[in-house]
Amino acid sequence: MSLAEERELLITPIVPENVVHNTKILENIRSLTAPTLGVAAGILGLESLTGFAFYLAGSFLVSVLILLLVAGGSPKKYFRSQTDIWTHEVFGTTSLSSFVLMWTLFYNLVRA
Amino acid sequence: MADVQNQMILRDPQLFYWILFPITFVMILTGVLRHYATVLMQSEPKKQDLKAIREQRNLLHGISLRQNLHQLPFASFLSRKNHIVAAYKRGEYLKDPSLVGQSAPNPMTDPAGMDQMMGMLKNNMAMIVPQTLIMGWINAFFSGFVIMKLPFPLTVRFKSMLQSGVATRDLDVRWVSSLSWYFLNLFGLRAVFNYILGDDNSADQMAAQMQQMQPVAGANMFGPGADPNKMFLAEVENLEVAGNQHEWVLNGVEDRVLSMY
Repeated sequence: MSLAEERELLITPIVPENVVHNTKILENIRSLTAPTLGVAAGILGLESLTGFAFYLAGSFLVSVLILLLVAGGSPKKYFRSQTDIWTHEVFGTTSLSSFVLMWTLFYNLVRA
Repeated sequence: MADVQNQMILRDPQLFYWILFPITFVMILTGVLRHYATVLMQSEPKKQDLKAIREQRNLLHGISLRQNLHQLPFASFLSRKNHIVAAYKRGEYLKDPSLVGQSAPNPMTDPAGMDQMMGMLKNNMAMIVPQTLIMGWINAFFSGFVIMKLPFPLTVRFKSMLQSGVATRDLDVRWVSSLSWYFLNLFGLRAVFNYILGDDNSADQMAAQMQQMQPVAGANMFGPGADPNKMFLAEVENLEVAGNQHEWVLNGVEDRVLSMY
C-alpha cells in the first residue's frame, strides 16, 4: 500500500463491522437464491452442463438485481472490491452445494 | 450395456417417502440438536482475578494506542506513549512480577489450558458421535439399492462409493444409493441451517471440521504458555517504531473541507 493510499484510508476509515455486515447480506441472498435456482433447475429437468449453466445464468441475474435493488446502483458505497457483487459466494460451498441438493431432489421428484 | 446414458430404472415412488424424506428430516433435526447441544455444553468463562485482567487490559491499551495513533496530535500521542512505555518497562502491570525471567509454564499442566482442551474435546464429541450414528443407521437400513438419479454425470471412480452395496457392474454412475443423498445433505443443508438457527450456528458438521483445521490466530494471545513480560517489551518496541511514522489525520483538514464545497 502506498503512502497516499494509507493517508486516504485514515481520512475516510473503513469500519470492519460494516464490511462484515454487507458481506453477510450478500451471503444471505446467495444462500436463499441458490436453493431456489436448484428447485427451478430440478423442475425443468435440466441435466449436467445445462444445469450448471442455468445456475450461472441465474446467479448473474441475481447479481444484477443485487446491484440495482440492494446496492441501489452504487456498489462503491458498500463494497471495497467491485467484483464482490458478481462473484462472492457464487462458487462458495454453501450456495453451490445447496443448489446441487435441491436440484437433485426435485429432479428425482419430478422425473421419477 | 448398449446405452449406459439412457438406462431407465423403474422405481417405486414410495422410496421417496420412506428414504429420501426421513434422511433429510433426520439430518436437519440432528443439526438443530447439535446446535443446542453445543450451546448448552459451553462452559461459562471462568472469572479471572483482578491482576490478570489488569495485565490484559493494559496490554490492549498499548495496542489500541498504536493502532489509532493517527487520530491524536503528536504531542498527545507522545505523552501517552511515554507514560505507557515507562510503565511497561518497569513491569508495573504484570500479574506476578516475581515470574519475570522464568520460562513460561507448561501449557499441559496449567489449569486454564485444561479448560480449553475440554471445550475442544466436547465439540469433537458433539461432531463425531452423530455423524457416526447416522452413517451407521443409513448403512444398516438403506443399503443395497439405488434410490435416485443424479442430474449430472460422474466418473467411474465414484461408483464404489456412491453405489455401495449395489453390485451391478454396468449400471451408470448417475444412479446412486442412499448414502450419497446423505453426503449431499451433509454439504447442502448449511443454507437451511443459516435460516433456521441464525448465522452463528454450530449445526453444520462440515463448517465445524473446517474450523478445526485452522484455529483462530489471535484468540490465543493471552492463552497459557505466553510470557506477559515479553509481550509488554515487544509492545514497547512497536510503540517506539510506530511513533516515528506519526502523521496526524487532521493535518490540512481545512483545505479538505473547503474543497468539498
